[in-house]
Amino acid sequence: MKHLLSLIVLLFSQSCFFSIHGQTGFPQNGPEDLRPQYLALVHANIQIDPKTLVQDATIIIKNGKIEAVGKNLNVPKDAQEINLNGKFIYPSFIDAFSNYGIRTPKENKTKAADQYRNSQTGAYAWNDALHPNQRAVTHFDYDEKKSEEYLAAGFGLTLSAVQDGIFRGSAALVLTGKGEPHANILNPDAAATMSFNKGSSSQDYPGSAMGAVALIRQTYYDADFYSQQKTKSELNLSFENFSNQKLLPTIFETENKYATLRAAKIAKEFGLTYWFKTNGDDYQRINEIKACKSPLILPLNFPKPYEVEDVFEADKISLSDLKHWELAPSNPAQVNKAGIPFALTYQGHQNAEEFLKNLRKAVQFGLSQEAALQALTLLPATLLNATQLTGKLEKGLLANFFISDKNIFEKDAIILDHFIKGKRNEIHAWVKPELAGSYQFQLKGFENSLLIISKKKGLEASLLSKDTLKLSFSEKAATFNLSFTLPNNKDQIYRATCWIGEVNTNNHATQIKGRVQFPNGTIENLTATLMSAEVSSQKSDSSKAINWGAILYPFSEYGSEVLPKQEFYCFKNAQVWTNEKEGIIEADVLVKEGKITAIGKDLNINGAILIDAKGKHLTSGIIDEHSHIAIYRGVNECTQNNTAEVRIEDVINADDINIYRQLSGGVIACQQLHGSCNPIGGQSSIIKLRWGKSPEEMKIEGVDGFIKFALGENVKQSNWGIETSRYPQTRMGVEQVYYDAFIRAKAYEQKIKKEPALTRKDLELEALVEILNKKRFISCHSYVQSEINMLMHVGDSMGFKVNTFTHILEGYKVADKMKLHGASASTFADWWAYKYEVIDAIPQNASILNKMGITTAVNSDDAEMGRRLNQEAAKMVKYGGIKEEEAWKMVTLNPAIMLHLDKQTGSIKVGKDADLVLWSDNPLSIYAKAEMTLVDGICYYSLEKDKALRNDILLERQRIIQKMILAKQNGEKVEKKVSADDPDYHCDTVETY
Amino acid sequence: MKKYILSIAISAFSIFTYAQNTTTIINNATIHIGNGETIEKGVLVFEKGKIIHVGKELSALYKNAKVIDASGKHVYPGIIACNSIMGLNEIDAVRATRDYSETGDLNPNIRSLIAYNTDSKILPTASFNGILYAQAVPQGGTISGTSCLVKTQAWNWEDAAVIKEDGIHLHWPSLLTSSSNHENAEKQLLKSKEKINEIESFFLSAYQYSQTSNPAFNARLHAMKGLFKGQLNLYIHTSEAKGIISSVNFFQQKFPAIKLVLVEAAEAYQVIDFLKTKNIPIILSSLHNLPVTKASDIDQPYKTPAQLNAAGIKVVLSKEGSWECRNLPFIAGTAAAYGLSKEEALKTITLNAAEVLGASQRLGSLEVGKDASLLIADGDLLDMRTNVLIAAFIEGEPVELNNEQQQLATKFKKKYGIN
Repeated sequence: MKHLLSLIVLLFSQSCFFSIHGQTGFPQNGPEDLRPQYLALVHANIQIDPKTLVQDATIIIKNGKIEAVGKNLNVPKDAQEINLNGKFIYPSFIDAFSNYGIRTPKENKTKAADQYRNSQTGAYAWNDALHPNQRAVTHFDYDEKKSEEYLAAGFGLTLSAVQDGIFRGSAALVLTGKGEPHANILNPDAAATMSFNKGSSSQDYPGSAMGAVALIRQTYYDADFYSQQKTKSELNLSFENFSNQKLLPTIFETENKYATLRAAKIAKEFGLTYWFKTNGDDYQRINEIKACKSPLILPLNFPKPYEVEDVFEADKISLSDLKHWELAPSNPAQVNKAGIPFALTYQGHQNAEEFLKNLRKAVQFGLSQEAALQALTLLPATLLNATQLTGKLEKGLLANFFISDKNIFEKDAIILDHFIKGKRNEIHAWVKPELAGSYQFQLKGFENSLLIISKKKGLEASLLSKDTLKLSFSEKAATFNLSFTLPNNKDQIYRATCWIGEVNTNNHATQIKGRVQFPNGTIENLTATLMSAEVSSQKSDSSKAINWGAILYPFSEYGSEVLPKQEFYCFKNAQVWTNEKEGIIEADVLVKEGKITAIGKDLNINGAILIDAKGKHLTSGIIDEHSHIAIYRGVNECTQNNTAEVRIEDVINADDINIYRQLSGGVIACQQLHGSCNPIGGQSSIIKLRWGKSPEEMKIEGVDGFIKFALGENVKQSNWGIETSRYPQTRMGVEQVYYDAFIRAKAYEQKIKKEPALTRKDLELEALVEILNKKRFISCHSYVQSEINMLMHVGDSMGFKVNTFTHILEGYKVADKMKLHGASASTFADWWAYKYEVIDAIPQNASILNKMGITTAVNSDDAEMGRRLNQEAAKMVKYGGIKEEEAWKMVTLNPAIMLHLDKQTGSIKVGKDADLVLWSDNPLSIYAKAEMTLVDGICYYSLEKDKALRNDILLERQRIIQKMILAKQNGEKVEKKVSADDPDYHCDTVETY
Repeated sequence: MKKYILSIAISAFSIFTYAQNTTTIINNATIHIGNGETIEKGVLVFEKGKIIHVGKELSALYKNAKVIDASGKHVYPGIIACNSIMGLNEIDAVRATRDYSETGDLNPNIRSLIAYNTDSKILPTASFNGILYAQAVPQGGTISGTSCLVKTQAWNWEDAAVIKEDGIHLHWPSLLTSSSNHENAEKQLLKSKEKINEIESFFLSAYQYSQTSNPAFNARLHAMKGLFKGQLNLYIHTSEAKGIISSVNFFQQKFPAIKLVLVEAAEAYQVIDFLKTKNIPIILSSLHNLPVTKASDIDQPYKTPAQLNAAGIKVVLSKEGSWECRNLPFIAGTAAAYGLSKEEALKTITLNAAEVLGASQRLGSLEVGKDASLLIADGDLLDMRTNVLIAAFIEGEPVELNNEQQQLATKFKKKYGIN
């Protein structure tokens, strides 16, 4: 490919015009070979910056820099002049997210036992995912293979980082050209880099996404504290240079849109600005992403179409994956349209051709060429403070640019040469003569034949003589081979090696010469003379308008293009379960602006949407005290016995389909609890199921903070099947964890009050101090009476109350003590026998607790059961013989009370939030269906809507699947896809992070 | 609380004092036959463990008969819990109490009956909700073993056995890949195909064995004999649509004499057309499962029974596990809420189950000549709101409804002075 005959190519390849100047210290083996570097490229179309393309222009470079660029320049007489004949010149692209020239450490996930401490030697930070002290520049070297790839894709510069760990240290701005690293490094510490991924660290912590957030926050506090200490109590090499690094731009790699929002929250807390290297799904939450006010670095490695011919297997591909395939190429355009500054990265590509193809695809999908160039040159240069060196083509800047045969956005445009600091790197042979056409073929025995060379995927050849012979065509350096057989004699092979004899001024071959060996060994010469050239009809189809489907909120099945709004509703003649002293009454209920505005008869309902609820039941919505839905990557931070610093609110997954499924079961809110892996787990999040809204919007405003504690087999790791070493292994140890934690918390509180400047801020202890100050409340996973009793004693002696015992299956044995302590109870209706500590669990538990005057709830701890909590409440009638109204409160008002939400929700009362469910039947009946679920007066679910959404899903899936099959038929590579299910977390779910 | 007093009063007949010979008349009840029919204000008479009369009115005079006035109450056949591990598993997390999964891959000779623990604390909690029979099913491996049909109240497993061996359980290899990696996906499929070849070769050997007059004894092959004579069911466990097609075609083409039952079959609704003509009953896995995919109708599991039933496919409902089984009536209730009539829903856990297991001559419906294994309930058995048993009988003997959970509750209520 690279060396087809061409005079110009010869000219270039014979002489290396440039060399690296100014390198010292390297011994010279042989005579020195410094050559003058003065070069004028004329008659080029030069893109001097993203906005400006100067036609028929000249660029003059001298000793690695641009001396002049523009139209009608005089070529200095000592400069070598090269005519580009209308080729294009672009400033080198800059990749702000790369590991070019850097070996990324391998993940080391195999380990024998729990690992609490770091394995790094030296006085470094406690956790192996933290290496802010690391400098990529110390690992950097020229990488021949990758260099070729980057240069061919247009990238002359990369911000090279060690892409490993959470705090990844500083990255270097380097040139991708050939040479010693010394000359290729433009800025050794151009940016700091981070992620949520602990990388090669084999240490346990963090064991979840929320743990990663906590670790980052704590590290900022630690590093600040370290730098503020005048006399350091101990050395920490990781933090030695931290304050300087905070001044650098910080690039944060995120794995999806919500991770971006999560990281932005951290940035805000610490007054920082990150730029985010995203996963390319930004368009799915563009408004929230925009509000982060951060520049983005976007990938272009769009998904391939999936294999969808098999109707059963295609079912396993989620709508969001199908839609993302269609929409991903529009992401840069949509980000641009939203006015968010962004750069583009090569990351994720294996070859240059694919990158350029995807770049053009992004343009086809609405990204302007100017914006694309901006994102590849000037913007990254600006962000990396490198505009005095590079980013466009103007006098004084480095001669970093590439030459392409045509506009780089045109289909099949290729990069011929890439100049780095004035040094030429040949990418593709400059001018490859065109071969396609028909030729008069002259070969002994094949007189009067016609050789046809046509362009399909590559070049193909056939010979028209008596028969039509298909030739096998293969290109070699400088020559190409043709071989063929005759139809009546398939094992007799004729072999010809050919080359271009003559070319015309259009650079089309006019004569092909070749040496042919016949099957019998005879050697003959062939000559083929051009009769007519094939006219290339391949035009870029960028003009074709591209249609794509709507963006759904959330970006999932059952999402909607437009979110539902608050309406003015009147539920007429409903059986209203008020949960108030009025009991169950037949009445009308008015809902306006999200609130219940009236209950009664003959209300003023002018303008209201009338809902005939005759024979139906209207209740306040179900609240699940114990839920693990809508949590991203890990419900447990299992790695330590006290992880009070982690927060579920950091990892809300607003796209979890279980939110919608639970709405269909009449659930309007839940407490998203940390798992039960450790005595002191993480902080809870309390959300309303506002399907379609962002994670932050799901959270209920102004609620009290809660935290998960846990007792028993899970915290002892009794059922892990392997030996574990984590403290505690017995219920005896569990008590000691609590005493220790609260004694330390008290000491911490005193110290921080007395000498704030001398106290390291400790997020874990702060959460416990909040408990002591009644600013945070405990939901404690508990089973047997001894441990329940124990925790109440710890609380009484340390000065805190247990707000809620959750699960509490032996609560009935200590109901009197719980009553005295003032704890609430949230339990399963009838779960038992799944482990030893629940052998005495009885389905009468809730009713006994309730009868003892304890606020009692029935919860799910299970995404499936969460949508049938009305039936679980009904079991309390069956097993416990309690009144239906009381049973109903166990899934509505009582959980509201224990979550401190009862002032705003939990009953049907004027002024409260319109969190309502209309049931087809008595809500405790198995035959009851939620016909309509309102949260804040917004109808997020109704039977009618659901029916329409099902149809939408079906049609949308079919539309995209058809499109994918067409894409496959058009030769696109397809990949196999099995979509991940939304996780089904329980208390004891442990995953690796 | 009245209902409990009544229930205790009836239990007080006690297993020991209640004479088998006594004729019992249940009067004025709504009788749910189990075959889809009901009799309002009906009367049911049983004697010597068998039902001798069911109807609107008494047809004879019974001297010295016990009469239970069940006005406003409902009488049902005892529920049969298919695909259960009750009695084989006591506490999920405690290995020593798990007796349902043997090591090895082809274990047809494993017999669940002899491990069935009639003293399991779980069984009384199931009968408390009306479950009087269970199919105890071994799990694990490709062929997990031979199941049995047992009573949930009995002295020992011999006494418990209704059918000692009702069928062999086969887990069909998955034909869907869970890997998004092409190469791994191919490998996974290849493995499944190899597994199917293994199954074929095992069944061929077993068939040969069954045809040979004096074969060298092979416990595994020996255990398969009944399959080819139609004495045992072959329960094929698969939840995938493709698994259903592939397994059914496999057996119907290669071993047409074997009686097939599909178990789990969560995706059966996708291949109703295929199943319609096959005359294969289906024991569905719990309806209280999340839909298979995010795009599935959110109530798909709930409505599957009605969809299958409408196509004439015989449906049995189940609730896998051990302690969980007590919720089986509510699984049927769910099916009734989503398209089945209540009586059809009842049939899925009574008569249909009995027919599939081969016990319908004795169980499954309240018809003359069948066992007097029945329930008297306060209300609708399928709705947890009203599923409260007043009495239950197995073969005419009262079932103890005052289980240990009741006793614990009573003990602590007494302590606190509440009721």
